[in-house]
Amino acid sequence: MSLISKCLTSAAIAGAIAAASASVTAPAAAAEQEKCYGVALKGQNDCAAGSHSCAGHSTVDYDGQSFKLVPAGTCTTMETPNGMGSLEPKST
Amino acid sequence: MPSLSEVQAAFSAAIFDPAAAPPRGVVGPDRRPAPRRFGVYRNNVVSALGNAIAGSFPAVRRIVGEDFFRAMARAYVLAEPPISPVLLDYGTTFPDFIAGFAPAASLPYLHDVARIERLWRESYHAEEAPALAPDALASVPEDELPRIAFSLHPSLRLARSRYAALTVWRMNATDEPVTPVDISAAEDALIVRPGAEVEVRKVPPGGAAFVTALAAGETLLAAAETAQAADARFDLAGNIAGLLAAGALRDIRRA
Repeated sequence: MSLISKCLTSAAIAGAIAAASASVTAPAAAAEQEKCYGVALKGQNDCAAGSHSCAGHSTVDYDGQSFKLVPAGTCTTMETPNGMGSLEPKST
Repeated sequence: MPSLSEVQAAFSAAIFDPAAAPPRGVVGPDRRPAPRRFGVYRNNVVSALGNAIAGSFPAVRRIVGEDFFRAMARAYVLAEPPISPVLLDYGTTFPDFIAGFAPAASLPYLHDVARIERLWRESYHAEEAPALAPDALASVPEDELPRIAFSLHPSLRLARSRYAALTVWRMNATDEPVTPVDISAAEDALIVRPGAEVEVRKVPPGGAAFVTALAAGETLLAAAETAQAADARFDLAGNIAGLLAAGALRDIRRA
């Protein structure tokens, strides 16, 4: 029996379960929540393939191959200047 | 004369290869090849699939901006066209694609945010099921508790990250203003839909290993040991309370 097993006796587990059960109130009954079947999540059913959007009418979309773009959305304001994130090259 | 399936395969291949010539037989009213007409068709297909990706990954889109996202989605559509006719399933591999997409390498957390969005959608469309009532455990005799196992809620998903992907996702899941984030703190997210709404919660230390072990069918005792070994800060009571409150558990399975 490992050291950890000794710590986790059935009494300890029972205590943890009791503490856990006592601290949780029942979530709202599922019956009170009604999922709206048939209502598509935005962007999933309303993006019908072959729809004649203006964007799709041109013969050539902007050139995604010459990839000069850099991320320009909220990432530019969200990260801490000294965070390890934005400047760290990916390891993969 | 090529068979219909050969014609279709050639047509499909030409759609997702912008450098390819229009397939044979694509002609205008003058019976001559119509590369511009085919170009419109190709662009519509790629554009529409890009719209589907944009609709499925709104936070990633907000993080990188519209131009970058459109270009990245286009690269994905051309590299990995749908393999299923179900548009809902399209984009399953987009997080992995982002992880290997060099222009996005400056945002190492981005593919983890994409994974949260993908798993959110899986959870949303998962089977309906009632969650285990919080007081159900009280009916199990104390000496049996270590040996019980759980079946987990069918909508339960776990998104692990070396970065603060959950915080980043939450901040970009709405249109609210963003604030600086220290992305260096690892965060695991628990995604579950016990009722109508998908709920996303931060997993406490050791919790991901705990849930993974439970999902594998381990007993409560074995899963707790696994979690403690994974992270010494693991708190059994807190984790069980968290799973009960989240509606992450479905049934108790007794040995």
